[in-house]
Amino acid sequence: MQDGVVSVAVVDADRARAAIVEEGLRAAGIPRVAIVPDSPDLLDRLVALAPDVVVIALDSPSRDVLEQMFRVSRVVERPVAVFVDRSDAATMQAAIDAGVSAYVVDGLKPERVRAIVDMAVMRFNAYSRMRRELEDAKTALADRKTIDKAKGLLMARKGLSEEDAYALLRRTAMNEKKRMVEIAQAIITAAELF
Amino acid sequence: MTRLSIGYVPLTDAAVLIAAAERGFAAAEGLDLVPVRETSWANIRDKLVFGHFDGAHMLAPLAVATTLGLGHMALPLVAPVMLNIGGHAVTVSRPIAAALAEHGGLSGEVAAAAAALGAVARARAAAGQGPLTFAAVFPLSVHAYLLRRLFLAAGLDPERDVRLVVVPPPFMVDALRRGYVDGFCVGSPWNSVAVDQGVGTILLLGNTVVPGAPDKLLALPAERADAPESAALIRALAAAAAWCAAPENRADLAALLGESGHLDASAAVIRRTLDGALVVDGDGRLRNDPDFLVLDANRPEPAQADWLAAAMQAAGHLPDGSESAVRAVFRGDLFDAALGPPAPG
Repeated sequence: MQDGVVSVAVVDADRARAAIVEEGLRAAGIPRVAIVPDSPDLLDRLVALAPDVVVIALDSPSRDVLEQMFRVSRVVERPVAVFVDRSDAATMQAAIDAGVSAYVVDGLKPERVRAIVDMAVMRFNAYSRMRRELEDAKTALADRKTIDKAKGLLMARKGLSEEDAYALLRRTAMNEKKRMVEIAQAIITAAELF
Repeated sequence: MTRLSIGYVPLTDAAVLIAAAERGFAAAEGLDLVPVRETSWANIRDKLVFGHFDGAHMLAPLAVATTLGLGHMALPLVAPVMLNIGGHAVTVSRPIAAALAEHGGLSGEVAAAAAALGAVARARAAAGQGPLTFAAVFPLSVHAYLLRRLFLAAGLDPERDVRLVVVPPPFMVDALRRGYVDGFCVGSPWNSVAVDQGVGTILLLGNTVVPGAPDKLLALPAERADAPESAALIRALAAAAAWCAAPENRADLAALLGESGHLDASAAVIRRTLDGALVVDGDGRLRNDPDFLVLDANRPEPAQADWLAAAMQAAGHLPDGSESAVRAVFRGDLFDAALGPPAPG
């Protein structure tokens, strides 16, 4: 740490998520943020970089590499600790829930660290939400294509109007207590057999 | 059915937990046992501490450190079941194996391997080369203590003459191939994977260096120690352990563990560990030890706690005078209470 400028390393194999965390930390006024790939020589890279705080995704296998940094102090010159603030278990709980963890060089003020951890947690949660929304949107799009295809089959084979084909699908789904897309898929499968 | 989420790291020594969930032993005790795969031991600890898991497959020294809050937030844990003894091995890169062979170090005997290791390390130092680098999967592990013991037997100072680092199991073989480490101590199946990929030679089987050392245990939060579902879990694991240990079930067990949802590894390679028949080098040489991995010695014993306390203290991982706290984690009494008195005859 020079002139009170805190440096942060972000270890995450998910590049998009790492970039979002990096952007958040910069926006929060931390100019020195580096994204470090999750690789076998992670420790050497971190020792060379000498960050004050390491933010690491829980799905990174290299988390255990950081565990040695504060136990085997001979390998690294500056002792490092997992971010433990006994007075603020809620911050740690939020971090674990969000899928992120932080390691901190001794001597950094807890308030400064907490701000970094809070930002990482917010960005991890935002990224999860975005991914979920994207998945939902993809599913909805796929469902609609399936329903449209089944509707087309009904129109062609039963001579129904588009509106009636849709109504038939919906009525059948309600009667069978199934989702419309399931009925649509059944129609498509049956049509492929005949 | 009571649902229990138990965290585990994908290693052959998670066999008893996985078999209990997948082969009906937990269901027979009224449990919906869900093993949850994790990528690091630190995650196992944190998710146990923050209540994501009801229990975990855990490195014995990590359970002690978590109980005592060493370097981390404390959560008192109890270990009512030992999940395995052994199963780990020391593997070295092929260049190091060649150097050790010149000093007669590849016989599988600890004394011969240690003497050769010492000779190679001193030759490197004399030639101005860097110290040998060995990896374990976690600082708080029987694997790390095994390496310490081996270095001491080699006449090397583990703090000065060698470099001991942590490498996650999925990176271990790659680290050896790239020369980032000269050797490692890791659990099954990673030693065999290194041999099969032609990058490593198994130097020593774990139980030749630290026989009977307590490796992984079932860790439960102490507040759940006396819960009825904990007793049911202990019974389910004991029954699963007996099933795992029966030779006629090995083919099924190896296939189960190899599935992509569990270890995602070759059943044939896992089978070598279960059989205690290890291919140790690229020439296909075999080393046999029926007790290489013991899955059915499940009662936590005070002697294991004492061994662990001494090993942790030697590594500077445990303050003096903590022996009774370590013993308090090893709860053979919970194991006995859950299983009841042994059947007569």
